[in-house]
Amino acid sequence: MYAGIDAGSRAIKVVLIGDDGFEIIAQGQVDQGVEQDQLACRLFEQVLADGGVCRSDVRRIVATGYGRNAIPMADTTITEITCHAVGVRHLVPDVMTVIDIGGQDSKLMRLDRNGKVRDFAMNDRCAAGTGRFLEVVADQLGLSLGDLGPMAALSRSPAAISSMCVVFAETEIIGLLAGGRAREDIVAGVQTAIASRIVAMAGRNAESPIVFTGGVARISGMETALQTALGRPVAISPEPQMTGALGAALLARRQHDSY
Amino acid sequence: MGNCFDSKDIKINASDPCHPPQCGALGPGRASVPARQRASCGDARPTADSPPAWFEGMIRNCLQYACEAKAKGRHIVGILCEYTPRELIMAADAVPVCLCGGSAEMIGPAQEHLPANLCPLIKSTYGYHVQKANPFLEMADMVVAETTCDGKKKMYELMAETRPMYVLELPQKPNDADAMAHWVRELRKLKTRLEKAFGVTITDEKMRQAIRTMNRERALRRQLAELMKSDRPPLTGRQLLQFKSNISCICADVAQYRRALELYKPVSAEESVGQAPPYQIRVLMTGVPVVHGAERVVEIIESHGGLVVCMDNCTGLKPILEDVDETAADPMVALAEKYFRLPCSVMTKNSRRLDVLTELARQYQAQCVIDLVWQACLTYDVESYFVKRLAETDLGIPYLRIETDYSPSDSARIAMRVEALFETVRQRASA
Repeated sequence: MYAGIDAGSRAIKVVLIGDDGFEIIAQGQVDQGVEQDQLACRLFEQVLADGGVCRSDVRRIVATGYGRNAIPMADTTITEITCHAVGVRHLVPDVMTVIDIGGQDSKLMRLDRNGKVRDFAMNDRCAAGTGRFLEVVADQLGLSLGDLGPMAALSRSPAAISSMCVVFAETEIIGLLAGGRAREDIVAGVQTAIASRIVAMAGRNAESPIVFTGGVARISGMETALQTALGRPVAISPEPQMTGALGAALLARRQHDSY
Repeated sequence: MGNCFDSKDIKINASDPCHPPQCGALGPGRASVPARQRASCGDARPTADSPPAWFEGMIRNCLQYACEAKAKGRHIVGILCEYTPRELIMAADAVPVCLCGGSAEMIGPAQEHLPANLCPLIKSTYGYHVQKANPFLEMADMVVAETTCDGKKKMYELMAETRPMYVLELPQKPNDADAMAHWVRELRKLKTRLEKAFGVTITDEKMRQAIRTMNRERALRRQLAELMKSDRPPLTGRQLLQFKSNISCICADVAQYRRALELYKPVSAEESVGQAPPYQIRVLMTGVPVVHGAERVVEIIESHGGLVVCMDNCTGLKPILEDVDETAADPMVALAEKYFRLPCSVMTKNSRRLDVLTELARQYQAQCVIDLVWQACLTYDVESYFVKRLAETDLGIPYLRIETDYSPSDSARIAMRVEALFETVRQRASA
């Protein structure tokens, strides 16, 4: 079997797949922390135990994600761009566009008919339009990440959030709260702002089917905001937080086969 | 006037972390002191043992050259753009020196006057000006600039408050019939200004001599760059980038270009028989200049599986791709014609850049295009739309745009994009 480890900025994910490359044997995730290598190691052992397999059964390990170069047990590393594309394509075979919003990155990948990455775009230096941005907002409004979706659904007129800088948006939200704006309008406004940022990356011609993945895809309401902004349907990937690790495991198998 | 920096003056700065000695913030200089060079041509034997070692000391070599020239009564003229014909300055028996800043440390001081949202090249150059930290600028008798981008143009106004500054008006519609005539007039005005300021006469013969000298250096540097056309180039893009000088046509530099051409030979087809194909992805780099001290992105590309086989920018092939006509009846017209053809993004339309890129991608067998845009460089930023379309549609190779500044905080993210680009290239190759 083969393993993929996605060491993201906010969470580490591990997926173990069988020799046939179709069956997921076991998977797990843990919040990112100070000693990433040890966190990843413990998680990996946990996933092995869950799958009832031992370390020597794993033929190859590929690490991906922000911290991919600090995973000593990995045989090699592949970027999250390629891994997410492969992972999503495995789950949704006809996908043409992948939107991945993670802890500190948002990315858009355009695939060709064979599922290979044609090109990609990414946010630059700042964490605007990412999971971290939503965390800051939730924190400021006294909500958990899980509350954001239901809260946004209540909004009838989303607030206009002009600043996509985490720091300045915080100031802007303080202003909106002071002005008596309802929390649901603020949350909905933030989701709309993130979605418009993605549209700027995608251009108007993102090819369907469009699949949304990454940790932020688990926050309800985000896909609706993306759909509205893009003007076309957006499907949430199955297991959105795991597609990077899944892609890494699938690529580990492909690499092993080609040796 | 004439306060030439010698090594004693420069050492005063050594205790200040913002201003490393020997204007090291312009780029790393070597610690050891070079043997004195002869100023006359023909007998220049640099003692550094190899071209890479020699050019590593480029700033120090230039400084020594400039100080010696100044001591002999020659004038120093700072330049800030490849549109300025060095030949005209050389024909006035002055020394043109490039002043473009590549240091992140100079950005803070610049922002006391300039907006934060301005390109790092402009800010760094200006930071040296306010800090009086660029010895070449401090010894300059004149600065020649031109109306290129808005950021530079307005920055020059600030600089001109305390420096003798001459600004050429660069026409920006290269295809207009009267544009060239205007540019020729602008160069003639500069000639008059140089003659008045320095009390010299710029004769046609002096201009022709300078043209021949510059052509000779351009030809050597072009041959070096062309080594990268090989399937197995003998240099990295980073090494090639090192082979340049802020002062053109220093005899010792010319000798080192020649030496490099003897030293580095492309691997022949016979020699490479049976060898595995090179692993690196061949990158065509375009966009903004990669000035001395700001080579970070080139280093990231080449430490993540890429080989920059060609740079079409102002610190790469752009200024050396074409020569000045040595036989023209009017050397001023010949100069104007060569320089006006530079395909900079300040031009509209700048379709020549796309033509040049198409040709270079073919000659250098580029597998992808990386477009470097300094943050807030509006003209290159907007033009990246055309370059992306050219790469993906016409050339059929992947394209990556990197927008960054001089601070290294996004190096890991840039590396990730570069790696992902190379994965894309390899996937396509294996398809």
